[in-house]
Amino acid sequence: MFQWNKLGKVFSPQLVEGRSWLKEFAQAPSALVFDDFVRIYFSCRPLADGNAQYVSYSAFVDLDRADLFKIKRVSEQPILSLGNLGEFDEFGTYPVSVIRDGEELRAYYAGWTRCESVPFNVAIGVATSRDGGETFTRLGNGPVLSYSPDEPYVLSGPKIRRYDGNWYLWYIAGRKWKLVDGRAEPVYKIRMASSSDGIRWTKLNKDLIESRIEEDEAQACPDVFHANGRYHMFFCYRYSSHYRSKEKGYRIGYASSSNLIDWVRDDAKAGIDVSKDGWDAEMVSYPHVFELDSKTYLAYLGNQVGRHGFGLAVLDGRLD
Amino acid sequence: MKWIKLGKIFDPTQHRMPNECVQFAQSPQALVFDGYVRIYFSTRSVDLSNGKFLSHIAFVDMRDNLSEVIRVSDKTVIPLGGLGCFDEHGIFPMSVMRHGDFIYGYTCGWNRRVSVSVDTAIGLAISRDNGLTFQRIGDGPVLAASLHEPCLVGDGFVKVIGDLFHMWYIFGTRWHRSSPDAIPDRTYKIGHATSFDGINWVKEEGRMIIGDRLGTDESQALPTVIEIDGRHHMFFCFRQSFDFRRNKDRGYRIGHAWSDDLVNWTRDDENPLLDVTPGDWDSDMLCYPNAFEHDGKVYLLYNGNEFGRFGFGLAVLEQ
Repeated sequence: MFQWNKLGKVFSPQLVEGRSWLKEFAQAPSALVFDDFVRIYFSCRPLADGNAQYVSYSAFVDLDRADLFKIKRVSEQPILSLGNLGEFDEFGTYPVSVIRDGEELRAYYAGWTRCESVPFNVAIGVATSRDGGETFTRLGNGPVLSYSPDEPYVLSGPKIRRYDGNWYLWYIAGRKWKLVDGRAEPVYKIRMASSSDGIRWTKLNKDLIESRIEEDEAQACPDVFHANGRYHMFFCYRYSSHYRSKEKGYRIGYASSSNLIDWVRDDAKAGIDVSKDGWDAEMVSYPHVFELDSKTYLAYLGNQVGRHGFGLAVLDGRLD
Repeated sequence: MKWIKLGKIFDPTQHRMPNECVQFAQSPQALVFDGYVRIYFSTRSVDLSNGKFLSHIAFVDMRDNLSEVIRVSDKTVIPLGGLGCFDEHGIFPMSVMRHGDFIYGYTCGWNRRVSVSVDTAIGLAISRDNGLTFQRIGDGPVLAASLHEPCLVGDGFVKVIGDLFHMWYIFGTRWHRSSPDAIPDRTYKIGHATSFDGINWVKEEGRMIIGDRLGTDESQALPTVIEIDGRHHMFFCFRQSFDFRRNKDRGYRIGHAWSDDLVNWTRDDENPLLDVTPGDWDSDMLCYPNAFEHDGKVYLLYNGNEFGRFGFGLAVLEQ
């Protein structure tokens, strides 16, 4: 058994100054450990435009390795520009997952476009960095993982990992657009693909995590962590309608696997829930587990899916 | 080689069509049956919610002489895709081929965007009733945008050669504007992919297999490939990326290339094998070719003015 002891909110985008593209939201934290700081990538937004439409950028904040609540630096620019006219990532790059690859860093990100009948579509892109993760350049103007017969739209939430020399991508794929009070809301499920080079992917074409709260449960952010001989997945899930509320909003779920393919879900073990009050009293979502100096941390989002930033918790117990 | 024009053979305004379609018979695609030739095409209805077009597949069965209409499909051949799917707002074109007892239909599905008008991808639908109706293998496409083919993957034409499925198709290289206030236009090029099952494809990924004749702003569309006397011939259409709808000097013409190895293609349309006929239905534009063999002859179906609003015609190869 394990549980996560909450340490509090660590980053608030509203406190950052001088960046018109970073006004609200710090979503989908993803950590990369450096010698004397921990870089947390996240996705943020400028204020909404005149039509109440957002774009999203990805950026980073460097936390002091000796005191994670001390912010050393916030990136001066987004790590990646938006895509060109008509391309899959023209209106957003969110979320992002970064991994080291030799001298380079590689970022897998979800690119957003806007559609007429539904609000958006999403596909997964890839970009590399040669300056230690400060800026990234696309490997191509199109997506590296796109739609297919069983995954017709909304490929998002990439989480990149390497095990035994292979590349693995956990992500979500849209299952249906559900009309709720006249608004199209996406239902998506957790999926996986594998690759020998991180470019040419083979999809498993299977839902990894069975739905629990309802058939149309939406699942997001499949964050996989290897510890004690097993693979542990923390993810988040919500109801398909009226999910911008405490009752039907995101919670963090848990599953484990011995082979990366067959997963047993057991949300009771997740070890984290909403607080009685405060910044994460309505929702907890977008979990990301990382190890630092013999401790295991969980970065996650609170109310309004990270509009006001992300927090940290530390593992109490053993992941097994 | 030379194409001898046989004239317009089908006018959609003279027939009753399914899905409340009234005009357009675009991108004719032939499938030869015993005693008749079925020609699939894309026609259009009007989306009542916003006045925009929706493209639907229909077919006409023609007698062996290819001049007499037997019937026009009176039912939906393939419904449009569901909410948010790649083919929600139209299927144009659908390329058909026999495979075993079934007929494979490779669809080009259209879905509308906000910053640009549309994106497309290629789906697969299979007919088990001799081509009357087609069922998708899934809600999503078999070929879509990828790392070096960022948008507008469409117009798939598939042929099995040896043990391999070959697909020639188009991919968008970019959206751009002729002037800062203009509506965005697209540029696309012909690409190639192969597959062992017709479902899982490996692209050449961004390789433009046909050289440009009009420069980088040349748009190439609708490849069709046929073997004639042991050599592979590709017909397609090409145009300028801007001002191509009304300016007949910038509109679609039929292009040609040939290959002996399916890798290297030699473009050969400086002297067109088929050209516009002043004063006729194809005086301004030639587009959407489909080559097929029938009764020992090689034919080419194609559209003329206004992208096929008033039908398609036929030419026969003089060798």
